[in-house]
Amino acid sequence: MITYITRRLVLALVTCWAISVISFIIIQLPPGDFVNSYIANLSASGSMVSAAEADAMREQYGLNRPIWVQYGKWMGRVLQGDFGMSMEWGRPVLEVIGDRLWLTIVISIAAIILTWGIALPIGIYSAVRQYSIADYIFTLIGFIGLAVPNFLLALIIMYLGFKYFGANIGGLFSPEYDLAPWSWDKVWDLMSHLPLPAFILALAGTAQLIRIMRANLLDELRRPYVTTARARGLQEWRVIMKYPVRAALNPFASTIGYLLPFVVSGSIVVSLVLSLPTVGPLLLRALVAQDMFLAGAIVLLLGVLTVIGTFLSDLMLMWIDPRIRAGMHG
Amino acid sequence: MRSIRRLPAALGAAAAVILASPSEPVWAQNALAESGLIGELEGVTIITDPAQWPTSFNEAPELAEMVASGALPPVEERLPEDLMVIQPVGEIGQYGGIWRRGFTGPGDNENGNRIQASDRPILVDHTGATPRPSLAKGWQMSEDGKTFTLNLRRGLKWSDGDPFTADDFVFWYEDIYGNPDIVPTPIPDMTPEGKPGRIVKADDYTVNFEFDVPFFLFEELMMGDTLIGGGQAVRQSDKRTAGGYAPGHYLAQYVPSDTKSVEELDAEAKAEGFDNWVARLHFKKDWTLNPELPVLGPFRTVQPINNANWVMERNPYYWAVDTAGNQLPYFDGVAMSVVENLEVLNLRAMAGDYDLQERHIDLGKLPVILENQEAGNYTVHLDLAFNGADAIYQFNQTYDADPEIAKWLTNTDFRRALSLAIDRDQLNETFWLGVATPGSPAPGEVLPYFPGEGWREKWSTYDPDEANRLLDSIGLTEKDAEGYRLRTDNGERLRLEVQAVQAFLPWPRISEMVADQWRQVGIQADVKDTERSLAFTRTQANEHQIMVWNNGGTELLYLFPRHAIPVDPTEAFMGPEFAKWYASNGAQGRAPEDPNMLKILELFRSAAGQKSEERIETAKEIWKILIDQQYGIGTVGQSPALMGVRLVSNKLGNIPSRNCIAQHCRTPGGAHPETWYFKE
Amino acid sequence: MSAAISTAAAPVTTAAEEKVAVATQLQLTWWRFRRHKVAVASGVIVLFFYLVAVLADFLATNDPYATLAARSYIPPQEIHWFDADGSFRPHVFALEGKRDMKTFRLVYVADPEDKRYLELFVDGYPYRLLGLFETNLHLLGLDRGAPEEALFLLGTDQLGRDFWSRLVLATRTSLFIGLAGVAISLFLGVLLGGISGMYGGWIDTVIQRVIEILRSIPTIPLWMGLAAALPATWSVLQVYLAITVIISLIGWTELARVVRGRFLSLREEDFVMAAELAGASQLRIIFRHMVPSFLSHIIAAVSLALPAMIISETTLSFLGLGLRPPAISWGVLLQDAQNIQALAIAPWLLMAAIPVIVVILAFNFLGDGLRDAADPYG
Repeated sequence: MITYITRRLVLALVTCWAISVISFIIIQLPPGDFVNSYIANLSASGSMVSAAEADAMREQYGLNRPIWVQYGKWMGRVLQGDFGMSMEWGRPVLEVIGDRLWLTIVISIAAIILTWGIALPIGIYSAVRQYSIADYIFTLIGFIGLAVPNFLLALIIMYLGFKYFGANIGGLFSPEYDLAPWSWDKVWDLMSHLPLPAFILALAGTAQLIRIMRANLLDELRRPYVTTARARGLQEWRVIMKYPVRAALNPFASTIGYLLPFVVSGSIVVSLVLSLPTVGPLLLRALVAQDMFLAGAIVLLLGVLTVIGTFLSDLMLMWIDPRIRAGMHG
Repeated sequence: MRSIRRLPAALGAAAAVILASPSEPVWAQNALAESGLIGELEGVTIITDPAQWPTSFNEAPELAEMVASGALPPVEERLPEDLMVIQPVGEIGQYGGIWRRGFTGPGDNENGNRIQASDRPILVDHTGATPRPSLAKGWQMSEDGKTFTLNLRRGLKWSDGDPFTADDFVFWYEDIYGNPDIVPTPIPDMTPEGKPGRIVKADDYTVNFEFDVPFFLFEELMMGDTLIGGGQAVRQSDKRTAGGYAPGHYLAQYVPSDTKSVEELDAEAKAEGFDNWVARLHFKKDWTLNPELPVLGPFRTVQPINNANWVMERNPYYWAVDTAGNQLPYFDGVAMSVVENLEVLNLRAMAGDYDLQERHIDLGKLPVILENQEAGNYTVHLDLAFNGADAIYQFNQTYDADPEIAKWLTNTDFRRALSLAIDRDQLNETFWLGVATPGSPAPGEVLPYFPGEGWREKWSTYDPDEANRLLDSIGLTEKDAEGYRLRTDNGERLRLEVQAVQAFLPWPRISEMVADQWRQVGIQADVKDTERSLAFTRTQANEHQIMVWNNGGTELLYLFPRHAIPVDPTEAFMGPEFAKWYASNGAQGRAPEDPNMLKILELFRSAAGQKSEERIETAKEIWKILIDQQYGIGTVGQSPALMGVRLVSNKLGNIPSRNCIAQHCRTPGGAHPETWYFKE
Repeated sequence: MSAAISTAAAPVTTAAEEKVAVATQLQLTWWRFRRHKVAVASGVIVLFFYLVAVLADFLATNDPYATLAARSYIPPQEIHWFDADGSFRPHVFALEGKRDMKTFRLVYVADPEDKRYLELFVDGYPYRLLGLFETNLHLLGLDRGAPEEALFLLGTDQLGRDFWSRLVLATRTSLFIGLAGVAISLFLGVLLGGISGMYGGWIDTVIQRVIEILRSIPTIPLWMGLAAALPATWSVLQVYLAITVIISLIGWTELARVVRGRFLSLREEDFVMAAELAGASQLRIIFRHMVPSFLSHIIAAVSLALPAMIISETTLSFLGLGLRPPAISWGVLLQDAQNIQALAIAPWLLMAAIPVIVVILAFNFLGDGLRDAADPYG
């Protein structure tokens, strides 16, 4: 058991390293670099940057060095907890990300809780009452959530809110709290702004979870042990909840870790449309501007969070399904 | 002595001329007047006669408190002897209120730079044509065109109370511009014919710019939004290094000097978390990032731009008063909130979340904006610009990746045919709601640089028959089954590539329509919707065939030529190799073989030493060749598409009914936002 | 549910039941599938959509690329079914557009005197039917009038292009992207997931690491990086293929994980043990015993993967990374509708979401039915 966990830990570290390499490569993939995009941006203000100045800037950012040297320098710093300076924002990366990371996590967790809260009961109900009217209705609603592109939904809801309800447009804070320092009132203000983005985000994931839950549970319910349990006169809900639901959660649990990047990816789009101060829009802009330290740090942080999530989900898997625990190879 | 020369004729009557456009589009354009959205150009009056100046002064209540507590000297001591007295558009305003705006993040520093527009020696007025004193109370160019003199206001102070003098110009010239680590190459504004000029202090309030060759153009450069005349806010923010002057008393500690070596500076910079001293200087001299930095504009940063809110407060040492002696600005400050996308910005503007917003407002949303006027408690103004083309199709004359394509891109009749094949009224209706002016890329008719009658229409009206005839005449006669013309080398379909960026205007969408119109004359154009920096990388590498952009800034050709002719390698859609050749004085790049292109570049080079009248003739000559040759196909221009759709809260006073929309007008800063105020 | 179990498990004696006993797995699946009404209906819908996709040009009433300012943002045209004399002659009224200079809206006024009759099998823009036959025959059109006065069943977009025609062409693009993407994902997913689950050991570790790494990176930056790296000189078609591959490169991991998970738990099952002890070959165990037992899961996963592909395509287009105009896909059309003026002035452009929703629903119910039908315990 301990060896297994240790092994998983080591593997998680290797994964983190691989993610750092890949995230660095992704950021370098598009042609050009930050200086190019900086020059492109300046075109509006009538400024110009001579070739010599551009070279001087590249020198300053170390962009003229080979990619592995750049990676090495970056990693060296990251390991010391220094994520470097954002080129576009002119501030340390961690400072730029700052509150945005927490807000992203808050939104993501709210969305995940909402997703589970909706999906699990419906999934169980749909499996137990397969082909009932309610099964169809829930399934239909779940699927509509999956099918409606969330960026469109976000814009429509925002526009309708503006047009007919005079609601605040986008954002996570009311204007009066936007500039204010953190306080309980501000936290409350944040909470009151959460449901809409969390709901839009949750919609996309819910149908998938309903599907998986329903399918897994149906498989389990057809197993002989369920029939046996029924035959022995156990209460129906106990028959279902005791083993089949737990077993059905198995493949489910294995995806917990991956919910995070899924939700975060979804949140990029929704945050963009609703103008939420999360890392999503920041990441998107950093990628476009080729602000590589900022983009790299965000991708890396999210990647590592996911690895942690996966690790936890593996532990959960072990707890849920003894068969896997038994089949563990060293 | 002062010589305020009127920059070429007045622009005042611009609206009238545009409205009486000669060709009558699909849906009559003079109906535009019906809308009541286009006002008269108007602006503040700067009172230069000391006899009319106020003698007693007032200040904002919060400043008065600081004075009372001893934190600030009295207002009389803060104001300069050579006062800037501004008569607002309407009435004397009152203090108070925060001006709320939206911005898109640190890349949008121009949003605030423009508000600080008065921090330059000379600023044009609302007509876009008359230069008015700003930091300088007067200026003159010597007879030989080799010495330009600025007379600074006496007693003018930086926002920290330190005096602003000729030394600040010398500091910039010697310690910033003169340091190759900061500015590796001399700027063209200071090097006529490649010969470096000098900045010399005559006395505390007199600065001379000296050149070895006649440089009459310099006076005009000083009035424009140029590297030398642009002032501190824009020219020294976001890693820029020009501007002509800098706060020496503050920045001296961050540049190498006799007392501080580069090594020491680097060590200090690293200790503060910067990579090196240059990086630290870029931060320290940036007013958007560094609240400590002394500035000269009406506001100073309190919360830097790299936050969710960019907040500014009034500069307690601002050097202008209204005619009643109230120190400006009236607004307590400016607060810009960041938005992640422009739909949200536009919606918030419509919800009345901003007090005055013209930047990032989308002309396409005008019907919706008008619909919400009452609910949002704002008034809409349409301000028309002076540049000739909001979408200009620039043909790369140095393209060499495909000889057959290059052959056609450089063929004059081919370009003329494609220009004639464009139905500009269609574009105008669809993307500019019919409010723009179709035609060639020439600057507005009211501008001195307009080449003359007939040049708006030359090769720029819809004539598909003539286009077909021209295309047939140059040998593009073979067509495939779908009616597309074929290449002459291998018989395959001739396919042009149009590079379009989704930026200020929906250029990819516009190009789809143009491509459909070219299809009617048998030319296939593939629209490539390209991300902005990628597009610039490609154009700098000479990889594009046709690039669509606007020609903003070309209304005053000499101040911002790069959207009209290939002289600046960073943006030379018409031929990057030519631009390299021009900028390097023939050392790099490729010389044009096309005599017309050569003529354009020669004319442009010769203009720097010409006096105003001659220079204007030269510019007209350049425009005539450009339009006759159609290196860049103009479509529709003089529109409000860029910063010309203005949503103004009904709570605001002293707002001009029409703003000047041009690069050098610094919209909206040229309208002196320090004179705007909240009526209630 | 329990009813389904009992009928299938009941002892067989009649002739009909005998048929069941000798039927192949596929036949059984088909029979069971037919009982699932919603799934059958969904299958028909999916088939219908693919038919539309194949015949897109034929169904288009107007050249989807033809632009005209004078018909920008025309609302869906009202079809009048009966003529004045009461006879059945569907027609539309000719439209006259004018910009109201107060509101800047385009106002279209129908002229009831100027009727344009609908006709079947009319001549229109030329195209290749099924990519083979050159023709200009279209299903529906108007009997007369200038080309710019075509039939606008679903209105027009900003450029005055016929929205119906663009929608059917978009259907073609998006449905085939989905299909191609899922095919690639399925192949990679089953292959790698199967290997991983069956062999275990270091192969499993390596594959699991790759999956974990791929899935730990938020998909959007991954797409962005890959999409931005596509050469700018590529044609729309090449970009189309590349986007498909990019989408499926991420999609397979989900499937692989499901497959592996099933392999892992099935390996411990008695019947696999029994087969192993009986000396069955590894391949036989996999394909004879294991695959059928989780085929249902693969089908369920695919039925979910396909909609995900379609959604991915629209998201990529929204971010400006996927297919871009002049290509026409659901994503491109949705992006067209993704602004305030479209919502306020031309809400009919939102109809682009309807086929997306319908197809995704249909695929899901179809997958559901297939899954239940393929389930050996069912």
